[in-house]
Amino acid sequence: MSTSETEYLKGKASEEYEHGWYTDIESDKAPKGLSEDIVRFISHKKDEPEWLLDWRLKAYEYFEQLLESGHYPDWAHLDYERPDFQNMRYYAAPKGKADYDNLDEVPDEILETFERLGIPLEEQKALTGVAVDAVMDSVSVATTFKEKLKEKGVIFKSFGEAAKEHPEIVREYLGSVVPYTDNMYAALNSAVFSDGSFVYVPEGVTCPMELSTYFRINEQGTGQFERTLIVTEPGAYVSYLEGCTAPMRKENQLHAAVVELVAHEDSEIKYSTIQNWYPGDEDGEGGVYNLVTKRGICKGDNSKISWTQLETGSAVTQKYPSVILAGDNSVGEFYSVAFTKGHQQADTGTKMQHIGKNTKSTIISKGISADYADNSYRGLVKVGKNADGARNFSQCDSMLLGPDCGAHTYPYIESANPSAQIEHEATTSKVGEDQMFYCHQRGLGEEEALKLIVNGFCKEILQELPMEFAVEAKELLAIELEGSVG
Amino acid sequence: MTTALDTDVRPEDRFISAFEVNHGQTLNGTSASISQQREDAIERFAELGIPTNDLELWKYTNIAKIIDRPYTLPLGAEPASVDPSQIEPFLIDGMDAHRVVLVNGRVDESLSDIGELPPGVVVSSLAQAGKDHPDVVEEHYGKYADFEDEAMTALNTAFVQDGAFVYVPSGTVVEKPIFFLHVTSTDQDLFLQPRHLFVVEDGAIAKIVEAQHSLTDTQTFTNTVGEAFVGEKGNLDHYLIQDEGPNASQVHTRAAQQKDDSVYSTQTITYTGEVIRNNATVEADGSFCESNLFGLCVGKDDMHVDNHTRMDHVQPDCNSNELYKHVLNDESTAVFNGKVFVSRGSQRIDAYQQNDTIVLNNEAQIYTKPELEIYADDVVCSHGATTGQLDDEGIFYLRSRGLSERRAKILMLQAFTEEVISELSIEPLRDYVTDLVRSRFATYV
Repeated sequence: MSTSETEYLKGKASEEYEHGWYTDIESDKAPKGLSEDIVRFISHKKDEPEWLLDWRLKAYEYFEQLLESGHYPDWAHLDYERPDFQNMRYYAAPKGKADYDNLDEVPDEILETFERLGIPLEEQKALTGVAVDAVMDSVSVATTFKEKLKEKGVIFKSFGEAAKEHPEIVREYLGSVVPYTDNMYAALNSAVFSDGSFVYVPEGVTCPMELSTYFRINEQGTGQFERTLIVTEPGAYVSYLEGCTAPMRKENQLHAAVVELVAHEDSEIKYSTIQNWYPGDEDGEGGVYNLVTKRGICKGDNSKISWTQLETGSAVTQKYPSVILAGDNSVGEFYSVAFTKGHQQADTGTKMQHIGKNTKSTIISKGISADYADNSYRGLVKVGKNADGARNFSQCDSMLLGPDCGAHTYPYIESANPSAQIEHEATTSKVGEDQMFYCHQRGLGEEEALKLIVNGFCKEILQELPMEFAVEAKELLAIELEGSVG
Repeated sequence: MTTALDTDVRPEDRFISAFEVNHGQTLNGTSASISQQREDAIERFAELGIPTNDLELWKYTNIAKIIDRPYTLPLGAEPASVDPSQIEPFLIDGMDAHRVVLVNGRVDESLSDIGELPPGVVVSSLAQAGKDHPDVVEEHYGKYADFEDEAMTALNTAFVQDGAFVYVPSGTVVEKPIFFLHVTSTDQDLFLQPRHLFVVEDGAIAKIVEAQHSLTDTQTFTNTVGEAFVGEKGNLDHYLIQDEGPNASQVHTRAAQQKDDSVYSTQTITYTGEVIRNNATVEADGSFCESNLFGLCVGKDDMHVDNHTRMDHVQPDCNSNELYKHVLNDESTAVFNGKVFVSRGSQRIDAYQQNDTIVLNNEAQIYTKPELEIYADDVVCSHGATTGQLDDEGIFYLRSRGLSERRAKILMLQAFTEEVISELSIEPLRDYVTDLVRSRFATYV
């Protein structure tokens, strides 16, 4: 690394987190700590039906058991302090009403918050045709485009609303893909989740627009536990996007979400994430613990689930968006770019479980590490006995920017069927001097060249994102690179 | 003297009490430091316990179930009479070698034929080396096979008695391969723990071939630990053939350390066995080292083979090359877990790791996990893994050339394994393994 780069890097490292401001809205908070009463409090606050409360309590009981027996999922290549579950708030809603019928009712402060995030609701409504369900801390603030979706029969609601208005659907699918017994954080989420999104696309309907949710942890000392459930009936299609940010905090915040996707026959779900939670300061202090359980099931034949993620934030990320390929000829895809810098740590990847016949999965993962960051890919491809003709292709590439970071690959392949074809390849390298030289020769400066090369490295993934997001993703990546490339 | 292991108590405790009872039995003529190490090892073993499936490193191999059998633990030298004609079938045609036969982990001189060695070279039992070359043993013994996290290595270290020993002094070339033929001969269910030490000093060159066979139908368990040291500009080829029959289980741990500009190549051919776990660890503790790790397993029946490798790059400018291939038939299971570790500051490492598997049968299973853990940026590390079945188009092509389907399949399987076998540097050994593998394939189809 040349001196000019080092200086540049230092300058950029001291730059502040772009989304690190804090909206001062009075909020309706639960007291700190976790107990059965808190679970009841949340359920009561949200005016939930009895069955949901029962489910939460069962999950809470299970969580307690796990906590007592010390079943922390800390096997990943991550080094962080276990969160103190009693020193956290489990509910914080912007004060006043939780739901708004139209945008005019939404307090200006909240709207401004989202505007600074770059997702002005009005503008999006007019220009991009994206319906946005914005979740601040825990409560869904406003959902646009409800009317238009209603015409098609698509249900796109906050989870709380959906539980009240469509209990039969929610009840059927809630916990069917990620049961509360899955792991400690899934149990915690099931007990205390405060909101999230619910999408239901009826038979044969192609959702007329991209659906999108923005999550943001605003209140100090809170955790965010949202829950997303997406169900597509036979022949339906939906593309769903989520984005995440959090303000700067000295202490670590916990984000333990659960996402469940259910795809019936011939249907397709495309799920895209841009995760940009606050990563902590340059000494590794503060930042969000992003410990998320995401899983989809291709229930019907010929169904497809595709995960695309761009992970640039969070102090600690541990998530493995997975697909259970139960239906014959079903397809699972996972495209990921994980960018870690500073003292960030990420252990992310996917699980592809081939159960049905002629199922296919593709995994493309790109990890970029800079500064003191550690970036791991961990994935499982499992082919069951009856999954004749299963096919998997995995590619995991890592790029190291600097001598103090780490890049690791832990792919698990388990095959019990002779007709399965599984291929895995991984490479780890740094930006080639020849590539840099070529760019310099064409008149590009150090930084421009790096941006170009890294962008090229990630292109396969970024092009999977819906257009609006792809632009944002590229910009986000460029901003991240400015701070860390050397 | 023997101790029958009581099956009513926890298996760990059986070993611990056997250790206490036989405190005095130790590696002949060894120093206080080795005795101390045995004490530390049994303590560590007691803490770690026998590995279970809960441990990530033992996820797919249930060794505890195998160890929990009423094995007899031999604790002293027991004369076993093996007739020279009995080892005849295990000799490798055309391989002119310095031959040492070990019966139940102990050197049997009457069956051995070491022949003439270059001056200074020692090929003997470890117990003998402890007496004759205490300085060499002291310098290298127990330095490379770390038992801190490996219960089975701790167990071996605690019960160390004897095994194979090779010492090649600086600048010496041993032209002929050194051949260790391990046989088990017993009418009991035996638990054996041989311990080997191979030292190849600066600029020295040697080839070591180990073959494991059995003359018994009883159930045996062999917990081997072998350590190898390759000095600056040294070169060691180290091959192992595992063919102990369907009643023999084993944990085979190999740990090698290399110094500057040295070459270490190891290859494991797994032919028969019940449950086999191989741990191969290579530490390239010098610059410009070359390390090669190869493995081949041709599975049949309900054989379970677990190959764990760890390539440790702790110094810059090295390259390593790893290739493991499996062919699985019947209900056989293979596990591959390779790890390439590049520590901070070990720049300009070129590491490659590949695991390919052909699964022929519905009941056969493969678990593979090639890992990279990298903390340096100026490196080229890659790995790949494939599993699948024989290529239909390839078979079609061969059939169109007039080969029967059976011939075509055997030919394709041979081609698949050839990539590994061709890395063997001793021609008669290469032929021997080729024949072995071909005869296995002939039973497949």
